[in-house]
Amino acid sequence: MALLVVTLTWGLVRLAPGSFYSAEKKLPAAVEANIKKKYGLDKPWYQQYGIMMGNILRGDFGDSLRYTGQSVNEIIWRHLPYSATIGILAYLLALIVGIAAGTFAALKQNSGFDYGSMSAALLGLSVPNFVLGPILVLIFSFWLYWFPPARWGGVASLVLPVVTLAAIYAAYIARLARAGMLEVLRSDYIRTARAKGLSETQVLWRHAIRGGLIPVISFTGPALAALLAGTAVFERVFAIPGLGSIFIQSVLNRDEPLILGIVAFLSILIMIFNLIVDISYGLLDPRIRYE
Amino acid sequence: MVSHRSRDKTLVFALIFSMLAAGCSSSASSRYFGKTVAPKDNVLRYVSGSEPESLDPQVPDGQPEARIYLALYEGLVDYDPKTLQPIPALATSWEIAPGVDEYLFHLRSTGKFSDGQPITAKDFVYSMRRGFAPETLSRTANLGYPIMYSEAFNGGQVFVKKGDTFLLKKDLGGTETKAASIGPETEFHKFIRSPERVALDGDEKKRAKQIAADPKLQAAAEGAEFVPVKAEDIGVEAIDDYTLRISLRQSAPYFLGLLAHQFFRVVPQQTIEKFGKAWTRKENIVTNGPFRIKEIRPYDALIVERDPNYWDAANVHLDGIQFYPMEEQSTAMNLYKAGSIDAFLNHFVPSSWIEQMRGFKDEYMNFPEASTAYYSINTTKPPFDNVKVRRAFVQAVDQVALSNFRKVTKPLTVIAPTGIFPDYDKAREKVKAELGGKTLSFDAEQARKTLTEAGYPVQKNGSTYSCPTFPTDTISLSYNTSESNRQIAEFIQAQWRANLGITVPLKNMEFKTFLPTRHELQYVGFAQTLWSGDYVDPNTFLGLFYGKDNNGDTGLIDPKFDKMMDDANSELDPQKRYEMLARAEYYMLDQAVVVPLTINATNWMKKPYVKGMYPNPGTLMPWKFVYIEQDPGKWDTDVDDIMAGHDPQVEKQLADIVSTQRTPTGSN
Repeated sequence: MALLVVTLTWGLVRLAPGSFYSAEKKLPAAVEANIKKKYGLDKPWYQQYGIMMGNILRGDFGDSLRYTGQSVNEIIWRHLPYSATIGILAYLLALIVGIAAGTFAALKQNSGFDYGSMSAALLGLSVPNFVLGPILVLIFSFWLYWFPPARWGGVASLVLPVVTLAAIYAAYIARLARAGMLEVLRSDYIRTARAKGLSETQVLWRHAIRGGLIPVISFTGPALAALLAGTAVFERVFAIPGLGSIFIQSVLNRDEPLILGIVAFLSILIMIFNLIVDISYGLLDPRIRYE
Repeated sequence: MVSHRSRDKTLVFALIFSMLAAGCSSSASSRYFGKTVAPKDNVLRYVSGSEPESLDPQVPDGQPEARIYLALYEGLVDYDPKTLQPIPALATSWEIAPGVDEYLFHLRSTGKFSDGQPITAKDFVYSMRRGFAPETLSRTANLGYPIMYSEAFNGGQVFVKKGDTFLLKKDLGGTETKAASIGPETEFHKFIRSPERVALDGDEKKRAKQIAADPKLQAAAEGAEFVPVKAEDIGVEAIDDYTLRISLRQSAPYFLGLLAHQFFRVVPQQTIEKFGKAWTRKENIVTNGPFRIKEIRPYDALIVERDPNYWDAANVHLDGIQFYPMEEQSTAMNLYKAGSIDAFLNHFVPSSWIEQMRGFKDEYMNFPEASTAYYSINTTKPPFDNVKVRRAFVQAVDQVALSNFRKVTKPLTVIAPTGIFPDYDKAREKVKAELGGKTLSFDAEQARKTLTEAGYPVQKNGSTYSCPTFPTDTISLSYNTSESNRQIAEFIQAQWRANLGITVPLKNMEFKTFLPTRHELQYVGFAQTLWSGDYVDPNTFLGLFYGKDNNGDTGLIDPKFDKMMDDANSELDPQKRYEMLARAEYYMLDQAVVVPLTINATNWMKKPYVKGMYPNPGTLMPWKFVYIEQDPGKWDTDVDDIMAGHDPQVEKQLADIVSTQRTPTGSN
């Protein structure tokens, strides 16, 4: 699967005009020929494809074309922690806020809290993070002077990016959690649990929440993969040296090995998280069993 | 009810609080933009643009890298902080041969690499040979092509040898004039000053074609052996440890200024040979500039510190510099406002902020740069293969109106920018007067006449015009996607519609997609070009249209222009040379291969406490002049006058450096 993704990406990169060395100033023919020879770009495409695939199957994406002397693997592992730190924090924040808000809204359906939190969630979903980011910067960096407006460094610098990134996920999770909980709370086995004489708290924590959160789990698996890998526009706005901004830049630079490396890495990451999600269904909901 | 009310209270409180905060911050700092406090640690924080490709000064060709290399590496000469003219660096003085085709440099004996090793003439020989070596993949090597045989070596070419003798250019009918040499005679010097050898393509198939195309060459190459041009063949010679001679293949009066370019800076032989491509890693890298590497955090920060081994370390004022790579202009503006950075690179104030930033008189600078924007015209495809059609389109553009509209640029009505080379401007005025002022310039009436003469009659319909026979649907105006490019294109489109009655379709493309379209002449009509000078001489702009493989992207090859340029560049009197160049420039302007648009300007900001940093024609900072002034009384004020103003500290430092250069022989 990952190899198919890599092949498609390779084809798309090759179809895009321009190369990693093209610049405003045209290179002398001799210099261009030297570069092509060095990187094997003078060979027929099927040979280049073969060489590329051979290397990838050995787990070696080679060196970045733009950042000479840096290997693709090294670049990915160097920048993953930045994206992952912010991603995991944002994920936890989104989960806590989203599930709490969604569950309470479901328990107190049609209350003021329900309407309030669901309106806030709708707003959170509608405002993209590159709009929310600058608004938060304006308020917290220039009016209140609480947090720095951008760049990596210290806990204070994490607050705005994490909140910005978490907002849209929290909103989505809140809506999913509310819908899931509402459905579960009306189901037969909850009625049975209540009929057994369990307290409302026990019903909620031991029975309802496990079933009610299934939609949340199936959403958050791939979401976590995306969060870990970094969000391109958002990272550029906050000048965070994460994988997302590197990915965007590698495409603009036509840095083929780096593009392929990041795409392969992301597709593997997404597959792993989907697998984890599938397994966790079984753990959460006794009705789902894998034979 | 109670809970509702308390929530409302909190909300109101938050609103009032934030409004108060907003009020405080804007009233407290009206003179400066945002927080303005000189950093106590004497370390400059500078946003440098894109992530540097590599720390190897000889490979990349970008400006963000260039500014970092100025901190880390030094060459024979460096840039004057205001004019960018060459000043002594590792060379204390130099002599120039009367023919301006040979330079003799006297090096200082105190030059050292960051690992303490001394820098000698041999290091320069190594660095240049390495720069031109095909496997180095330098993208700026062509700047050094005036050096004898460097182009042949860089292109993997071969000499033609028959028995013991090499085939010479004069054997094929070339002319050879070599004036007197400079410095002592040596074996190598005899070779390099002997008549120039013929060099052919290294690739066997291409060479066969080359030979077949020229009967004279065919006869001469019959049964000859082909000897690859070697690194040892290029015109760079270490006469002794501290004397270096560079021999050129023809006179090049602009060559000295070129030597401050990163390509010609010294690189460490031992480190490169030991570590190969890994030599620029933090644990291996050896530099030789005023600063050395302290920390490399890609996409986050590149931190350098003063290098105690640097020969002039006592005059390096900053303890260090933090270069922050960044792509987003508004993010850099936010950091600047928050006082987290002290300066950023040129052109980094977003268009929507410019009006407001202009008000900060002590910080915002908009000075002309050695950088032009114009539309290249593809002269190989009709209807623009007709010079009259091209002239009509050039005459129909009002550059002054464009610059008034753009606000941050100055009008470009010729090819080389005005206001950058003062002596050349004078020469150009003189030549223009000679030509009776009749040069190609904005004249809508004349434009319509020219187009009508070219066979596309322009009709007047009331207050508008139309040109029904012009093949508008086959042409376009292409540019790479950006807000400012779009604005310019729409403005020019409107002018052509108003003045000629032709609506040229616009076409925008992603940058890397656009470049091959222009370089390979796939466009019909116009394509936007932005050209930044590589050195401070009009040749860097006029050279765009020189030679067969020129960089003008217009498809024009004009032997008459080439001859004019060759003649001008072998003229030794600088004033006469400028006049000859100006004639060549007006000749090329009249060929109407480009639509001149704007001279770009710095559009740049720095905090007032950053001193010794100037909006020079390339916004290139020799960092050892830069310092942080703690005393607000001495901060920069009204930076519109910064170039004319005086800074005693910078002036003394500069005078001390320049004083080692003797009165040069020859010109310049």
